[in-house]
Amino acid sequence: MSDLPLAGIRVCDLTWIIAGPTATRVLADFGAEVIRVEHAQAVDPIRLGRPIKGERTTLNNSGFFNYFNRNKKSVLLNVRHPMGMELLHRLIAVSDVVIENFSSGVLESWGLDFEAQRAINPGIIYCSISGFGHTGRDRHFTTWGPTAQALSGLTLMSGLPGKPPAGWGYSYMDHTAGYYGAIAIMMALHHRNRTGQGQYIDISQVETGMVLTGPAVLDYTVNGRSWRRPDMPPGNRAWEPRIAPHNTYPCAGEDRWVAIAVRNDAEWQALVRAMGEPQWATSSRFDTNAGRLEHQDDLDAGIAAWTSTRDDYAVMRALQAAGVPAGVCQTPGDRVERDEQLQARGWWDTMPHPELGDESEFDGVTPRLSATPGTLRTASPLMGEHTAHVMLDILGLSPEEFAEHEAMGVFM
Amino acid sequence: MSGPLTGLRVIELCDELGQLAGKLLADMGADVIKVEPPEGSAARRVGPFVDDVPGANRSLNFWYHNTNKRSVVLDLDSPAGGAAWKALVAAADIVIEDRPPGALDRLGLGHRSLLGADGPAQPSLIWCSLTPFGQGGPWADFHATDLTALALGGPMMMNGYDPADAEGAPPIRGHGDQGYNTACHYAVQGILAALLYRDRTGRGQHIDASMHEALSSTTEVGLPYWFTQRVNVIRQTGRHAAATRSEPWLYLANDNRHALIFGVGRDNASWKKIKEWFQSEGFGLQFDEPRFDEPAARQPARGTPEAAEILAEVGRFIAAHAADEIYRGGQERRQSWGVVRAPDEALNDPHWDDRGFWVEITGEGRPGPVRMPGAPYQFSETPWELRRPAPRLGEHTREVLAELGISL
Repeated sequence: MSDLPLAGIRVCDLTWIIAGPTATRVLADFGAEVIRVEHAQAVDPIRLGRPIKGERTTLNNSGFFNYFNRNKKSVLLNVRHPMGMELLHRLIAVSDVVIENFSSGVLESWGLDFEAQRAINPGIIYCSISGFGHTGRDRHFTTWGPTAQALSGLTLMSGLPGKPPAGWGYSYMDHTAGYYGAIAIMMALHHRNRTGQGQYIDISQVETGMVLTGPAVLDYTVNGRSWRRPDMPPGNRAWEPRIAPHNTYPCAGEDRWVAIAVRNDAEWQALVRAMGEPQWATSSRFDTNAGRLEHQDDLDAGIAAWTSTRDDYAVMRALQAAGVPAGVCQTPGDRVERDEQLQARGWWDTMPHPELGDESEFDGVTPRLSATPGTLRTASPLMGEHTAHVMLDILGLSPEEFAEHEAMGVFM
Repeated sequence: MSGPLTGLRVIELCDELGQLAGKLLADMGADVIKVEPPEGSAARRVGPFVDDVPGANRSLNFWYHNTNKRSVVLDLDSPAGGAAWKALVAAADIVIEDRPPGALDRLGLGHRSLLGADGPAQPSLIWCSLTPFGQGGPWADFHATDLTALALGGPMMMNGYDPADAEGAPPIRGHGDQGYNTACHYAVQGILAALLYRDRTGRGQHIDASMHEALSSTTEVGLPYWFTQRVNVIRQTGRHAAATRSEPWLYLANDNRHALIFGVGRDNASWKKIKEWFQSEGFGLQFDEPRFDEPAARQPARGTPEAAEILAEVGRFIAAHAADEIYRGGQERRQSWGVVRAPDEALNDPHWDDRGFWVEITGEGRPGPVRMPGAPYQFSETPWELRRPAPRLGEHTREVLAELGISL
């Protein structure tokens, strides 16, 4: 363990759903000891989340949960019981980080705002991820990933002109709010290493989406142009830099597509050669980027006619060999079964899990640190799998005390 | 107060792919020295531009992604420039660069050349190489843009349209260079993990950051469905890809904006509030019937006639209101509903002013301040801070070289 970069860091993990567990997945991958505090009366919905193995949920057979909670421990702790709350205080006392992604105000209602946590552990780093943050007039409003995507502008920035927004197809902002959580916590740990000082980090999921739209906001505040205007969003054509061709093109087979982006005239000439110099493509109106932008409909139709009878991976390889950016629109199955790059870099791994099988599957840890890479060490924990270990070995309860707490309904 | 990374010197050699990583470090206090070629970073040629007039200091893309950095111009192809680069690296805690694999080493200026083949020549240095596909592997030399990266990495194939909305539509790329952004989020996670290891041991290391891997770890339920059931999820309009087609989340309001409905009255308390709201305006009068009392019967995923009726009524209700009324009215009744805003429309929402979210900058052609997004996180002791706008090309060449005693 000592060669993991976050070895020795203990995280009291009060998170659920996806944004918080994404943050602690990153910390756990890099070696932090992440202890999920769970409660049977308020089960993490992702423990019930599809896909599951088999027909009925058991709280321990969700592939969705497994993906986001590898390398972590799980304790059952009834914090509504005074003795449970006392044990949570003891866990905070021996942790470096407390993280939660409840609605704004929940931890305060537990009597555990930052001041209370600091009274328990003066160096504690407390990270909260909520929809709207802990301040501001709408702090009691709530989000899921799609809400944050809609409010930040990201949903509107995705789609074909004249159609409803396509949005993101998944909770991009649950991932990304989690990434900002992990980044913030590691920055705060560095500061604590230098000064001994902990701190409180307030993250609004909507704000972590709004920071991803900077140039679009500036185009409004500087140039007075909003993304809400005719012909926007431009589908898969380019916004900025304004280049063409830049789109997705159909390939042979059902729902197969290749993305192609030509950045300059040299790449256009390379694409023309790769297509076998069809007559339409040699027209002088396509010689310059300005001309290609002006005649983009004809350009895209010509390229689509070339790709539509061809295998998507063959198109990608031919264009890449010519120096033209091109990529297959890969399904999850493609990435696992057909992606030579991920395969060659050893991206896929398995770990035994009591209910998901001897080879429950995972992706790797990125980026790759040369001396102390992050690792996959365990699959996700069963509900309460580590209660006894944490209570006896970390919090120092005697077996008798443990049994007494158990009988009082503290570990449920 | 100053940021948590105060005292760290970062040398950044990045264009569109890696520039956000440098910003994330710079905005939290690191002294980020951006090395640019004489013609400037390629990101300076990415629009939109101030008044649509291109120019090295007029790119709004560059303005946003290069706050708090200092710009130093070096011609790395020249011996003097190469020597200055080596001197900068020697004075650095962290290097981050997004050049193609091996490109810097061909000049004798990359991590393999400067960190030493037989052990680190500069043992405490953290060097992050951020590339589209990583330092090795069969696709390492493939070319990529944000579009092709989002295609190969998987996000696009999760995202698009129901056939009823757009028959035969392709997978759709969300805009805003989110492939580059995600690559930078992961690169910074790696840099900070390495920094914490260095805090403990004094030892630096090299970091191989791949945009392709970062994106392949950012598709939520996509991989779990394949891992667990060998199922590829299907694309749907404005909502999550799923194994089977689900009910819509986006509804058009009477101001031609979309409201986002994410669950309707999942629990009885919030259902009562929604019901009262609808009925006070003459909608959903049938909701008083006992068949709507059971929460499970109201959930679209169950496919009950009650759920279908509720959604039909929700559609009618929304069509009679402005989208913001739906958003705020829903939130006040404990629904995580939203409104599909353009990025700039958030400027009108006073909640973000309450939090001090927006910051003001100036730049060429705009001497008066203009607003843009500020901090992604609020730190109580070491806050995010805008110390300076993005640098003009070469603005700090003399200053930085003098500080470090480097002569060109």
